[in-house]
Amino acid sequence: MTNIGDTTSAGVARPEPTRRRLVGWGAAGASLAFGGAIFGSPLWRVAIAQAKPYKIGSVHSLTGPGAPVGKTALIGVQMAVDRINNAGGINGRKIELVVEDDETKPDVGRRKVEKLLVEDQIDAQVGGEISSICLACMPVYDDHQVVNMIGVCLDTTITTSKCNRYSFRPYDYAPAQAVAFAPYLVGKLGKKWHIIYADYAWGQSTRDAYAEQIKKNGGDVVGGTGIPIGTADMTPFLSKISGEFDGLFGIFFGADGVTLGNQAFDLGLTKKYKWAGDGAMCESTNLPGLGHKIDGFTGINRYVPVMDAPLDTPYHKAFFEEAVARLKKMDPSGPLPDRYVQSNYEAVNALKLGIEKSGFQGRDDTPKLIAALEGLEMKEGPDFPQGDKTLRKEDHQAFVREFIYEVKDGGYHIKDVVPKEKTIVPPACTFSA
Amino acid sequence: MNIPFDQFLIQTINGIVTGMILAMVASGLTLIFGIMDVVNFAHGELFMLGAYVGVLTLAATGNFWIALIAATLAIAVLGAVIYLTTLRPLIGRDPLTTILATFGVSLVLQNYALWQFGPVARKIEEPITGHFSLFYLEYPYYRLAIAVLAVAIIGGLWLFLKHGTYGIWIRATTQDRVMAQAMGIPVPWVLTAVFAIGAGMAAASGVLFGPLVGVNSQMGTSWVLRAFIVVVVGGMGSISGSIAAAIFISLLEAYASLWVSPAQAVIVSFVVLILTLLFRPTGLFVPTPK
Repeated sequence: MTNIGDTTSAGVARPEPTRRRLVGWGAAGASLAFGGAIFGSPLWRVAIAQAKPYKIGSVHSLTGPGAPVGKTALIGVQMAVDRINNAGGINGRKIELVVEDDETKPDVGRRKVEKLLVEDQIDAQVGGEISSICLACMPVYDDHQVVNMIGVCLDTTITTSKCNRYSFRPYDYAPAQAVAFAPYLVGKLGKKWHIIYADYAWGQSTRDAYAEQIKKNGGDVVGGTGIPIGTADMTPFLSKISGEFDGLFGIFFGADGVTLGNQAFDLGLTKKYKWAGDGAMCESTNLPGLGHKIDGFTGINRYVPVMDAPLDTPYHKAFFEEAVARLKKMDPSGPLPDRYVQSNYEAVNALKLGIEKSGFQGRDDTPKLIAALEGLEMKEGPDFPQGDKTLRKEDHQAFVREFIYEVKDGGYHIKDVVPKEKTIVPPACTFSA
Repeated sequence: MNIPFDQFLIQTINGIVTGMILAMVASGLTLIFGIMDVVNFAHGELFMLGAYVGVLTLAATGNFWIALIAATLAIAVLGAVIYLTTLRPLIGRDPLTTILATFGVSLVLQNYALWQFGPVARKIEEPITGHFSLFYLEYPYYRLAIAVLAVAIIGGLWLFLKHGTYGIWIRATTQDRVMAQAMGIPVPWVLTAVFAIGAGMAAASGVLFGPLVGVNSQMGTSWVLRAFIVVVVGGMGSISGSIAAAIFISLLEAYASLWVSPAQAVIVSFVVLILTLLFRPTGLFVPTPK
């Protein structure tokens, strides 16, 4: 038996256990046990979490060549976040948006994503425009096990060969657009096509998707011209295009779309051949730079800023009017909203739906959030003014309705609407274990 | 592999037209380097801002030629201001400081344009809209007009440098800055004027090229990169060398596109740059140094 008043091995006098002290120790122990039970319970975690907002990261190309797309994309994110916060947040918690600029560089993008995940401790991310940057950053979300809701990136491999359990694309991709557009191209415009494409990841994968579907529908692709992105004078390359075919199909975006539209018109190519292409060629933000030279162009897009059916809904009107007002503040020329505003707005709302459905509180609940997002059905309404969509479980790829339009007098005229069910392509993704 | 004559001729015209646009951008750059030893990384942004001033003036006046002159003058003044406030205090220091300063100016101007004008591309309507049949193509007269105007502007600059009083001042300053000052030439103002002329040349190129692409905050980037290649290949500081190099490189790229893909064709200029630096670093189109 140790003598009372002995010192411990550390040489500290051990207090004498009087009755009062015993009662005090007992009370302290009980408090600790009670506190531990309360504070350690999931109920308490929820209560603590509800005191702070959801931290959502948003990476965009706000400077560099991708800035025209990134700036409009960010407006979509901000519109959705403001709307959610004004309505009281998600599950009573507001959203704190942490915006980063990837400077249109994959290495910078990756560094900014690391910063968001490690320093800012974001709960999820919504954003990303340039495919090469999205592809560079996807493994980082995988490493940190955080949901990455992509806003614009269109490279096919994002949800096929390079798919990732933590990354979701809540809008369309080239194979689905090709399935939707090819019957129209071959049936109504012409059988033989020459494809002019941006010679990098997105342009090449989109070219492959259209070539496959044009052939499946009885047409043929007789030639292709890949032009490096950022080429200011495309005329030497366009001058080579000649021969017997029916239509030219363009796959470019942003400033390159404007350059191609202008220079193909100047050489008479768009009069000699039918002129069609990916909707990115003549987004509403490109129309002022193209002027009358893009008249007659037939395109496909998930979103066109018109009030014609089926977009003549009160939710689309509300979305459109708010987007126009915000875009006007960013650009005095007052551009109409494009698919970059729309898909980022809806990506935030898809995340909101997933958080509500899963009861997501923070990163620990990411598996529950993923389970809620897989197979998520989004119904046309204020959150999804573009229309219904489904986020497929097998590859995290959404399917949406598509609009085929013709540009006339500087505006869009819807020629056909393809329901989402007619855009389905089989999944081609295997998630790593 | 046989190349049809029509394609060869079309690419020859393309090469010369593109070469003259490039020569105009590069001549401003080489003028500034040749006289001031300043590598102006903001040249592309002056090209872009010139195009934006052209857009605004065109909207206000409806006249392309007034827009061209107004943009040239406005950006020349801006160039003078940039020189006086940013570069003049650095003259005589390590050349790296002026490189960093102009790079900084380029970032400021690019982001200013994005903030001021927004991301939406603007249109400059070309003043000449017709075209003529060139084999299987409709070739726009405007592209030929750009080449002719570029020849006229560069020719005017050459005459000014060769025969004008102020041109003689500029050449004297290039040859020996100290002696020029001793002879009463106001060297600091000559340098300011040179930077303003270079900036004005960039602006004029931006307005002339605007109708072919649409005006946006990034439009100067790709041109200025190629202009730097032209300046090195043509011989740093040599205007005639830059013109020859611009046409040479543009023709090579145009001809290369007959055989290889565009992605491979654009590499040609870099190959020429590397070979020049390896075997004739003074430039291909200047006399052999003694």
